[in-house]
Amino acid sequence: MKFETVIGLEVHVEMATKSKIFCSCSAEFGGEQNDHVCPACCGMPGMLPIVNKKVVDLGMTAGMMLNCHINRTTTFDKKSYYYPDLPAAYQTTQWFAPVAVNGTVEIETANGKKSVRIKQIHMEEDAGKLVHDDWTGTSLVDFNRTSVPLIEIVSQPDLSSAEEVVAYLERLRSLLRFAKVSDCRMEQGSMRCDVNLSVRPEGSDKLGVRTEMKNMNSLSAIVRAIEYETARHIDAIENGTEELVQETRRWDDVKGKSFAMRSKETAGDYRYFPDPNIMPVVIDDAWYDAIKASLPEFPEVKKARYTTELGLGDYDADILTGSRALCDCFEGALAVCGNAKEAANWLISDCMNVLNKKQLTADQLTIDGKALGELIVLVSDGKVGRGNAKKILEAMFEQELSPAKYAEENGFIVSNDTGLIEKTVREAIAADQKAVADFKGGKEKALMALFGKCMKQLKGNCDPQLLRTMLIDEINKA
Amino acid sequence: MEKDTLLLLEKVNQLSLSESERDTVLGFFEKRECDMEKLNAIDTENVERMVHVLPINTVVREDVAKKLFTRDDLQKGAPETMDGFWQVPRVVE
Ligand SMILES: [Zn+2]
Repeated sequence: MKFETVIGLEVHVEMATKSKIFCSCSAEFGGEQNDHVCPACCGMPGMLPIVNKKVVDLGMTAGMMLNCHINRTTTFDKKSYYYPDLPAAYQTTQWFAPVAVNGTVEIETANGKKSVRIKQIHMEEDAGKLVHDDWTGTSLVDFNRTSVPLIEIVSQPDLSSAEEVVAYLERLRSLLRFAKVSDCRMEQGSMRCDVNLSVRPEGSDKLGVRTEMKNMNSLSAIVRAIEYETARHIDAIENGTEELVQETRRWDDVKGKSFAMRSKETAGDYRYFPDPNIMPVVIDDAWYDAIKASLPEFPEVKKARYTTELGLGDYDADILTGSRALCDCFEGALAVCGNAKEAANWLISDCMNVLNKKQLTADQLTIDGKALGELIVLVSDGKVGRGNAKKILEAMFEQELSPAKYAEENGFIVSNDTGLIEKTVREAIAADQKAVADFKGGKEKALMALFGKCMKQLKGNCDPQLLRTMLIDEINKA
Repeated sequence: MEKDTLLLLEKVNQLSLSESERDTVLGFFEKRECDMEKLNAIDTENVERMVHVLPINTVVREDVAKKLFTRDDLQKGAPETMDGFWQVPRVVE
């Protein structure tokens, strides 16, 4: 018998906000244990939540990016569960009227294009972290992550292979990063995924027994887990190796196996009920329109525009549209310098070099596009040499600066002082007669040696074309 | 409500009721279920869902991070702490 796998995903994404969802504590990753906490996120009695507007902004943004319907009146509910990482003994989440519903995400794999339906996107708070201390036999609780805002994106069971799951997650990551909803860094846990999987005979319209693997945070582990779980299900159905039960399982990536964790709670166990402390969030037209207007172009739309309108190659356009930060910087630079190819080159080779040296990702690029554009103009106008321009670029990674002003202050402006260049050239020639003879004898390389010495003497502040011409003139005179 | 459901709710709520209390609760829910049936019989096809009893909406706050409390202050009332963590009886899934 042939089988097909049916997969639905619940993806948790930590939102890029400065503060938590219901209190003003910092939402930053890390920090000393229990340093980002207050009575509200510690679940002290009597504390009232106040909704962070940015969370609703980003929830709406995510919904719009995934073609969802936005619920203009959206409400928060309490989901009860009793565990020390959740100090209030309930999680504030959305159950009855989530911010966004009924969306779609388009994916593409070797098998072609597919539209994955999104059931809903809801906003909720994260839980804290537990450390189990073997020495004292106790558990230690850190509430820094408690109440950090999350969105959970729930798909319909429309995925049917590990390959499609990867394509779906990469697409989500790209869209959410582009819209600045989250940095979606799986390794830091800002994007995590629960995989719901069942297997059924091909063509059947009845779903098989479903198991869930929680908190997956690497694409490669997800692929292995799906392959293992699919094989386990098929084995159970075909050979009766075990009885499949609806349950939550833990994936052990080292052992390459999944293990039963606990029987799956049903929605009833969570006893969802409307949070009486938070009034409905009503999204009026002005708010809705402002978010709609702030949405970025989709990456593939940008890529098409970069190649057709701006004449960039596929490769360059691909790299740039891989990151919103690169796109923003590129477009800012282009607006100033008007030269798409130059701007792309500076970003793809020079800026990426600096980022690599600093072990940063493209999304962490902070330099201002306008300033980069000004730097490109300084070079193309012959006012700053390329070598010195790179030094200015490096400085731009450290501080916000005006390239022209910085060039002036650091003596990087190309001298138009032909007298000085001539003097330098004469001295260089006088000092290295051998190079002159070599060049005259047909050795092109000898000229480069003289050129380098002069450039060094002039601290790079010389139009290379001018220097070259003057060198050849002087040599011919000599 | 079936007795099984009640037992499950007791468990997840960390309660333990006596048999007579269970009878009271089950009796209460039986009556409420009758009320529900009456409500369910009403045609609500074109009635907009009510999300709150009052025509009221929430205030929102700007996304500004502030540090208003120190860890030491917050942990003053904690039964046990260790190295800045709250310390609780061991829980392992
Ligand atoms: Zn707080």
